[in-house]
Amino acid sequence: MSFETVYEVRNVSKRYGSVVALDDASLKIGAGEVVGLVGDNGAGKSTLVKVLSGAHQPDGGQILLDGEEHVWHSPKIALEAGVETLYQESGLAPHLTVAQNVFLGREIPVKGILGKMGFLARKKMAADAEADLERIGIAFASSGRPVSALSGGQRQAVAIGRSVTWARKVIILDEPTNHLGARQAGEVLHIIENAKKQGLGVVFISHTLPHVLQVCDRIVVLRLGKIVKDAPASFFTNETLLGYITGAIQTLQEDAE
Amino acid sequence: MTDSKQDQLKPAGIGAGIAKLFSNQSILLVAVILVLGIFFSIQSGGDFAKVMVFNNILTDWGSIILLAVGQTLVVISGGIDLSVGATVSLSSVVSAFVMMNVFKWDGTITGDAATVPLLVGTLIAVLTGAAVGVVNAILINVAKIVPFIATLATLSAAGGLAIIISGGQPLQGPSNFSLISAFGDPRLNPFSFMIIAVIVVVVIAGLFIHKAKLGLYTYAIGSNTFAARGAGINVERHLTKVYVLSGVFAGLGGMYSYIRLGAGSPTSGSGMELYAIAATVIGGASLMGGVGRILGTVLGTLVLYTVQSGLLMINVSPDWKQIVVAILIAGAVAVQGFKFTSKRSK
Repeated sequence: MSFETVYEVRNVSKRYGSVVALDDASLKIGAGEVVGLVGDNGAGKSTLVKVLSGAHQPDGGQILLDGEEHVWHSPKIALEAGVETLYQESGLAPHLTVAQNVFLGREIPVKGILGKMGFLARKKMAADAEADLERIGIAFASSGRPVSALSGGQRQAVAIGRSVTWARKVIILDEPTNHLGARQAGEVLHIIENAKKQGLGVVFISHTLPHVLQVCDRIVVLRLGKIVKDAPASFFTNETLLGYITGAIQTLQEDAE
Repeated sequence: MTDSKQDQLKPAGIGAGIAKLFSNQSILLVAVILVLGIFFSIQSGGDFAKVMVFNNILTDWGSIILLAVGQTLVVISGGIDLSVGATVSLSSVVSAFVMMNVFKWDGTITGDAATVPLLVGTLIAVLTGAAVGVVNAILINVAKIVPFIATLATLSAAGGLAIIISGGQPLQGPSNFSLISAFGDPRLNPFSFMIIAVIVVVVIAGLFIHKAKLGLYTYAIGSNTFAARGAGINVERHLTKVYVLSGVFAGLGGMYSYIRLGAGSPTSGSGMELYAIAATVIGGASLMGGVGRILGTVLGTLVLYTVQSGLLMINVSPDWKQIVVAILIAGAVAVQGFKFTSKRSK
């Protein structure tokens, strides 16, 4: 299956002092494609995610969205261009309601002068949030509940649902199934499949290899700051994927050459 | 994930009823005020129940409620503003100083003739408060000093500056005491022009905090700064607004104090920050951020003043009021802790 490329990085590098965190990495993400990003701790996953999301600017290389070159001066610019990122640590504001979280940073003001003063159309946002979440397979009793009243799985679902709702081109999900039970993780994977059906490019970062193998079209393996393997998910088994991550398989190939 | 977990959220057993009652802080606070009112009325042989007492409570309450509203915004953001009391002193002194030395308006201007001078004075007091807020915001956002220490520094600086400018003496400028007196018979009506002005300001502030973006972003930052940043909120810029607003409320508090005294006193706001913080916490705000209501803060302030006036009326030594305030704060925080545990024990 081939996908039309929506997001691409070419030959990006990033160093922190003398440490080369990312070395000449190139990666394509297609519309409707789920690309898994795997690698050991320190392999450069986080750095690549930060470059993709606009949190960090690479030292070299290009970033192309819909074939056009972009420089993300801040995550907000990437966000406005259609690239949504769900960070592992960011999550939701627990004291705000589901609807307030979904609309955070993109509130709908009331009409007229009160709207210009910052007064918000809270009922409309509550109704819209509920409808949007339901559309991608998340149905809650009420979008007016505070996030602190939700279970861990529900919170994660809302967080991802929020990204999927707003993303126009690409969503980057950093460890979205971490700390979740099997059933909840399954529902998160289901949301990812819905995002794919909507034609979004999805970057899925995870340590949980069965999840990666289950949901991804293509898997990219990072090791020591380099992309060491980029192949369709069907190419890998759990064992060979682990082999590429740890370097065991590459070492064998090098020995054979 | 799709099923409602609401049923599991309710704490079971004996705690359920208490938890439910406590979960509405406003109802609890109204009950506390009523119980205190009845207690003090009986103890004072009916004196406490008089309108004039309520009049005094409201008049005393003016500056503190303004500070407490600003403080609530700061506390919701996850910060604290210790500088507000000193800002009251500084803004009342600066206002008096400018009125007297720049505009040559002195204590001979009284009554209606003082309207324009007092309006100009209010503007100066507000600008002074805003300036202290800007300094707080720079210390917190740029110098990356935690709010507690940053505002402790400005508390000290503003307090010192107030004494330097005033020479340690109250500066007597234009005055109009009818602004602070009840309309008509004070035995029948507890409201003065200033109290009504304060109530209007508090209501407007409440609308912006609970219905508008200003409040929403403040809650978001106090609840989870990471999430707020991730949602594209400019956290530093918003916190600057929060501290400047707290300064503006302190400036208004300073002007309230000036109008009450007819003078800018360098000690008029001393210690007020503690009452403002106490009122905020008693009103249900969490110093961890993300929680707080203006209605709660208003009621929290009334609890404080009911206790203070009540103790005075039943001839308890004023020294005891500090201890009672301490007990109230500890009690409020304990209730908060109880609510937190009952929510977590699902």
